[in-house]
This record gives sequence, C-alpha cells and structure tokens, in this order.
Amino acid sequence: MTPAHFDGLMPVVIFMALAVILFTGGHFASVLLAPKKPSHGKSTPYECGEIPVGSAWSMFNVRFYVVGLIFIIFDVESVLMFPVASIFRELNDMGQGGYALIIFLSFISVLIEGIAYCWRKGDLDWVKSFQVSTKNNKN
Amino acid sequence: MNQTVVSYLSQYEFYDIILEAFGNNEGLLAFVIYSLFAVIIVALCATIGGLGTYAERKISADIQQRLGPNRVGPYGILQFLADGVKMMTKEDVMPFTADKMLFYLAPCLALVGVFATLAVLPWSSGFIMADMNVGIFYLIAISSLVGVSVFLGGYASNSKWSMLGGMRGASQIISYEIPVTISILAIVLLAGGMSFGAIVGHQKGLPTNWFIFHNPFAFVAFFVYFIGALAETNRAPFDLPEAESELVSGYHTEYTGMRFGFFALAEYIEVFVVCGVAAALFLGGSNLPFDISFDILPIQLVEVVIFMTKTLLLYYVVIWIRWTFPRLRVDQLMSICWKYLTPIAIVNLCGCAIWLVVFNGRSFAQIVFGGHH
Amino acid sequence: MFAQLLFAMSALLTVGGAIAVVVTKNIMHSCIFLLACLIGVAGLYATLGADFVAVTQIMVYVGGIVILMLFAVMLTGGKDFVSRAQNLLGLAPSMGNKWTFSIAILVSIVFLLTNISLIGNIVRSHAPKTFGNDYPSTVSQIGHLLVKDHVLAFELSSVLLLGALVGAAIIARPRKQ
Repeated sequence: MTPAHFDGLMPVVIFMALAVILFTGGHFASVLLAPKKPSHGKSTPYECGEIPVGSAWSMFNVRFYVVGLIFIIFDVESVLMFPVASIFRELNDMGQGGYALIIFLSFISVLIEGIAYCWRKGDLDWVKSFQVSTKNNKN
Repeated sequence: MNQTVVSYLSQYEFYDIILEAFGNNEGLLAFVIYSLFAVIIVALCATIGGLGTYAERKISADIQQRLGPNRVGPYGILQFLADGVKMMTKEDVMPFTADKMLFYLAPCLALVGVFATLAVLPWSSGFIMADMNVGIFYLIAISSLVGVSVFLGGYASNSKWSMLGGMRGASQIISYEIPVTISILAIVLLAGGMSFGAIVGHQKGLPTNWFIFHNPFAFVAFFVYFIGALAETNRAPFDLPEAESELVSGYHTEYTGMRFGFFALAEYIEVFVVCGVAAALFLGGSNLPFDISFDILPIQLVEVVIFMTKTLLLYYVVIWIRWTFPRLRVDQLMSICWKYLTPIAIVNLCGCAIWLVVFNGRSFAQIVFGGHH
Repeated sequence: MFAQLLFAMSALLTVGGAIAVVVTKNIMHSCIFLLACLIGVAGLYATLGADFVAVTQIMVYVGGIVILMLFAVMLTGGKDFVSRAQNLLGLAPSMGNKWTFSIAILVSIVFLLTNISLIGNIVRSHAPKTFGNDYPSTVSQIGHLLVKDHVLAFELSSVLLLGALVGAAIIARPRKQ
C-alpha cells in the first residue's frame, strides 16, 4: 500500500514539521542565550505603567460574533462554488455554457439576496446596528 | 496530484543515478528531495522576510526623506541579522496572568499556517513542491490558521491591549477572506481548475494573456484581491490589530524575544506568499513572455527569477502603500469589506462567468486583435 | 510508508484531540484541542484520496467554526473559563450524574455496534481502491455531480444557507430592553 500520489502530500507535512522545528529550535536558542532575571514588575501585563485592574478576559461585543456567523455562511457558499467554478470552462467547451451559467448565477443570486438583507437590516454596520434594530422594534 | 518537484526532476537522467544510490527506494528519495527543497525555500523565505524588514525601513526612510538603517554592513543591509541576534538574546518575558500553553502555541500556529502555504507556491513550471488539484483552495484554507493564531496570541497574553488587538485581528482576517475568496473564484472560473499548474499554464505568452488583462472584471478582481490580501495580512492601512497609536502593539504586545520574532517572521512571509499568489493568479506567474519548446534546468531558474521579480515588485507596492495611506477606523474597515469589496467581488464573479459564456472563453486581447487559444 | 505515517499521525491527532477536548477543564484549551482534532480528520480525508473534502474540512471548520467558537466563548466572558464541575471518576469536567453516564455509555455502545454492522457490509462488499500515479481529480467529479445529478440539491443548499444567514442575523441582532 504505497500509492504514489500520497507523496504529493509530503511537502505539506514537511513544511509543517519544519515550522515546528524552527519554532522549538529558536526557542531553545533563546533559552540558551537570553538572560533570565524575572521580577514581578516585569511580568505584569503592560498597561502603560499603570497596575492592571481586573482580567482582560471579559465579555466582548456581540458584533464580533455576528461577523463570524456571516463569514461562515459565505465561506460555505464559496466552498460549494469552487467545484462548479473549476469545471465551468470545461462545460462551456462542451457547449453547455448557458446551462452552467444559469445554475451558477441562480446560486449567486441567492447569495446576493443574503447580503442585501443583512445590508438593509443594518447587520453590516459596525456602529449603527443598535439604533437600526431599536427603530425596527418600535414599528 | 499533477506535478511535483520530484516528478519534474525524474525526467532527467541524474535522477535515475541518484535513485540507484538510494537502493531504488522512491519514497525515501522523494522525502529527501522534498526536505532539501523545503529547507531551501524556508531559508529563502526567512531571508526575504528578514530583508523585508530592512526594505520596509529603507523605503519608509526614502518616502519620509530620512536615511534609514545605515550602520550594520554596507548600506545597513545586515541590519536584519543584527535584529535576529538581538531577538534571540532578549529575555523571555511572559505575563504571570497569561495562559501559558496558548501563549507558546500562538506563534507556532502562525508559523505552521504560513509555512504550509509555501508547499503550493509555484516558483516555476517545474519547481513547485506539490501542484495539488485543490492548490489555491488549499492555500486559502490553511492560511486561516493565522487568524486563529492572532486571536490566540491576543487571548493568551491576558493583557487588555492584546485582547482587543486579537479580537479585531481575527474578525478582520475572517471578514476579508470573503472578497479574497470570491475574487480567486473568478480566476478559478477563467482557468478552469484550482491547481496552480493549470492557472499559471493558462497565462503562457505575452502579458496580454495574463488573467488581469483577460477581461475588465478580472482587472477589477485583481484590485479587490490585493486590497483584501493587504487586510488579511494586517498590513497598513488595515493594520488595526496592531495599531500602535491606540493598541500599543496589538495582539503581540506581550510577546518578547524569539516568540515576537516568529510572529513578525510569519507576517512578513505571509505578505510574500500573498504577493506570490497575486503574481501567479493575475500576473502570469513564472511564465516566460515567449514560447520555448525545450525545457532545461537554466530555464527553470530564469522562470524562478521572473516569478520572484513580479512578487517582489508587489511586495514593494505593499510597503509603499503602508507608508502612504493613513490607517482606517474600525467601522470603515468593516464597511469597506462588506459594503464595497464583497459586492464588487460578487459582481466580478458573475461578470467573468457571463464573459466566459458570451465570448466563448476568449480574452479581451484575443477579441480585439483576433487569434484564438 | 508515507501513507501509513500520514494515517497514523492524522489518527493520533484526531483521537488525541478528541480525548483532550473532553478531559481538559479550560474551555479555551478545549477549543484548541478541537482544532487539532479537526485537522486530524482533514488528514484522514487526505489519506482516503478525498483532497477536496479534506481542504473543505480545514476551510470551514478550522477557519470558520473554531474561530466562531472562540468568539462565542468570548461572548460569555466567564471569569477564567475553567470548569470546576467534575464527574466521571473526577477525571473530566462534565454535567450529569451516574445515571446519565450509564445511559450515555449504553447508547454509545449500541450506536457503535450498529455502525460497525452497517459499515462492515460496505467494507466487505467493496474492494479497496488502489490509486495509480494519476488518480482522477475529485474536484471535477464533485463539480460534475453538482451541476448534473444533484443540481437541485446544489440550488437548495444556497437557499438553506440564506435561511441560516437570515436566522443568524435575526438571533444575533441586539435588542433594547
């Protein structure tokens, strides 16, 4: 069981391994070379000289999450479009260009609908999303 | 798997001689060749990354009418080596509130994500480590590890500046991945394949065959890609995650010494990779401007030089942009991505698809000057 | 040789990551072990010759879902994201009691046996394919299937995603009060 095509995946693994080796190597070198004089002041989180109050791990705004959600939807859509896009030219050469175009464009048009909806409802605004949604709630 | 550097080398006679020396063990020989080339590429990229810092300082000095680094070596060109040595000999400081495991892991993850993209970068028609069928798609996917590492770097430091920078960085990177991916989709559409071999092979010949000049939509797609790529690599004017005027140094505020160095190295290599992808996708990659029917090793080297020239020119533009434009505000950043770049990219994609069907795959130049593919 | 090595590494990453996800008490560390687990699954796909699925796994899960999970954890803003609840012999942080654990174990054993009996038939009836040097690109096969045999599913998936997008936007939209 030595299919030759797996050898093509070898560079990926080698590069990843090289990154880890370089990281550990550099780390080891710095452990050997660097001075070590730890002190409490040195290892407090940097806050421009002030003593930090509380932890930085606090609740974050929901906007980041919304961006993440929208991103995932578009990500999955682009994943689905990749195989179709890569055979689009082939289909066109086979004389099925019109058919492929209709399928492709109708897929994209739904994508456009999604982004238009989010745009209209203010989900793409970084700052104003609160005001828009409260206005909608009143109506 | 279409072509790899091993399958390229195997057409020469010396390959058989070496193979015999390895006892006809093809797998082992492939491993040795890949490792050798991987080490060469990593060394090259590390040098380019190092020289990138030097170039950045020198070009910024030119733009601002200063001298820039000029002490270490002739014209200060050895500055990056001095910086590297300095980073290695700096004390390693970690905040006592930090999440130790993730603090160590974050730069490593960034390095892994960036190095893994090097495996598909088409240096020349023969010297491509692995010309996967899913080449460009793989590159987009694996480079998203950098986004995770930026977030982890910010989170693990447990410093307020880092945390803000990390959150901003991760959301910026994932947001701009959308227009970049859709612009690349347009090129996949035109090339009829995702492998770099197919994409670069499609642009053989004169610059009129480059995909950037294929049709007006592809021309716009290049700029969408380039702007999105700038944002994905956290370069100015999109360097909000590390905005020094508001976030000290962003997600790597608490990183010192070698670990900071790895973050910086990963960032500079990523800029190089992104420029290389732009050159390969839109600017003809490593193609010679004329057809050559024979293939010998020196021609491969010429192709590598062509590819490097295009990539480094784009690299220069990236630095030039950094020192010319002011930084964006965070709401402008998001509106540029979602309200300008993404719709434009989608229109480009539709436009490319329609162009392909209407003009039966011919490029703009082929329609104007005649001729066929 | 390399194929076995790749499989071993991927399997180790998958199983080790999965175990670490449930054993670790820090939710952030859990997320990162999940990342390792998902990369391992991508490696397993790659060893099966399914390159497109492997990369999709990385693209969607590593690049999207894990980052979304990290964001979601940051939304909760817990003090230090460490679970103190312990169960299952004090090993893993978990909810539930002895009864829920025994039921869960029973269910998973039944599920496992059913799966083995189902997949076993498939494995026995199909001889393992051996790829030559030039195995066909799965991308173009998937593409042809998407535009020909499964075109309705392809179009409907975009409608499904539109629904997901609208739903996500509505749920995540901040309300006053």
